[in-house]
Amino acid sequence: MEFPTKVVGDKAYIRVTSDLDTETAGEALRSAFNEMYDQGKRTIVLDLSGAQIINSYGIGKVLMCYKRLKAENGVLMVKPLDGFVKETFELLMLDKLLPIDDS
Amino acid sequence: MSVGVNPPSILLADGDEQSREMFGTFFEGRGWVYDVVPDSSSMVGALEKGTYDIVIADVELSGPDATHFLTDILDKHPSQPIIAVSPNPTYENVLRVFRSGATDLLARPIDFSWLERVVQQIVFSRRNDERERATYRFVTKEQAEMRFSSADLAQLASISLPLVGRLAQSGMLSHTDALKIRLAVQEAVLNGLEHGNLELDSQWKEELSADGRDKFSSMRKKRLADRAYADRSVTVKLVYGDGRLEITVRDEGKGFLNARGVSDGCKVDSLSCSGRGLALMSSAVDEVQFGENGSEVTMIKRLHERKSTEDYGS
Repeated sequence: MEFPTKVVGDKAYIRVTSDLDTETAGEALRSAFNEMYDQGKRTIVLDLSGAQIINSYGIGKVLMCYKRLKAENGVLMVKPLDGFVKETFELLMLDKLLPIDDS
Repeated sequence: MSVGVNPPSILLADGDEQSREMFGTFFEGRGWVYDVVPDSSSMVGALEKGTYDIVIADVELSGPDATHFLTDILDKHPSQPIIAVSPNPTYENVLRVFRSGATDLLARPIDFSWLERVVQQIVFSRRNDERERATYRFVTKEQAEMRFSSADLAQLASISLPLVGRLAQSGMLSHTDALKIRLAVQEAVLNGLEHGNLELDSQWKEELSADGRDKFSSMRKKRLADRAYADRSVTVKLVYGDGRLEITVRDEGKGFLNARGVSDGCKVDSLSCSGRGLALMSSAVDEVQFGENGSEVTMIKRLHERKSTEDYGS
């Protein structure tokens, strides 16, 4: 499984195309993130519209991305969320942590 | 294959008059009940008014690349089986049809013996589901117990919980609550596997190697290869009765609670690696209880009154 990435200006985008609740999906996110990070991108936007479900495993991976960027004064953003994923982010207060990219 | 006493009911959406007549003659010959519409907007209207076992729809009903109307229909009626009919079943068209969510595809000219087989398979499956739902209206108690070794559990993406599905179908759980409960069980099972049986420390998630891999993942792999850890089991027990669903997940680890019954460093906030699973569990059910030093977790969900018989339809 691979998540597509693209770079627009100084932002890198990762499109999560499956539920984020398995090791396979988590590894796909880690790999896409590393690719962008290694290219020097420090503003990375996650598009989670392809995920209907996220669990603590997936959230752990998202937070790992957040921490790596924060350590380098970078920022992890998310595209506007909806449904269960939005609910889960709000429950765990991740919505306060990760700014929305609505460009 | 018998589909029982009720003949299949079909909505045919086809813009070609000659084709509609051909289908009509075939349906009548089989004794099937059917309605015919000539375009996609009439099809939407017909599905608002009535229910059909199957929709048979020409994919060119509203233009040359019109599979999007199939997606629109399935957004509104997610369990509606649709057989798409295509005059031009190229690889790209077939891919587009199946990606739109259609159940099957028929190429023109129509092979009616194939159509008959597909319709009977779909209707047979629908009638079975209806029978199962009808039976479950009268079930007042049910329990199930599943046991997995850690090694096997690590291979599973998720655990199927048919009892939760039956409660949702009978209206005692909303579909959203059913989804949350499935995820809560997944969280509890994952906790039991990783923190219980494999004795992995959450703090290891913070320890990264140069390539961005964390110690937690590498230790997980190592312990799954060690039979002393991998042979430990996780048990999931579901009990439905007395207006509630009780789910207990038990592992064979040491438990995460200390002698005073509190967790060592388990903090529920967005940044700590631990505690998120517990927060997700608590949000899904009415009550969460821990036993056996934390190696057993019981989640309790109070259920809605079951729907009256009339609410189910036939």
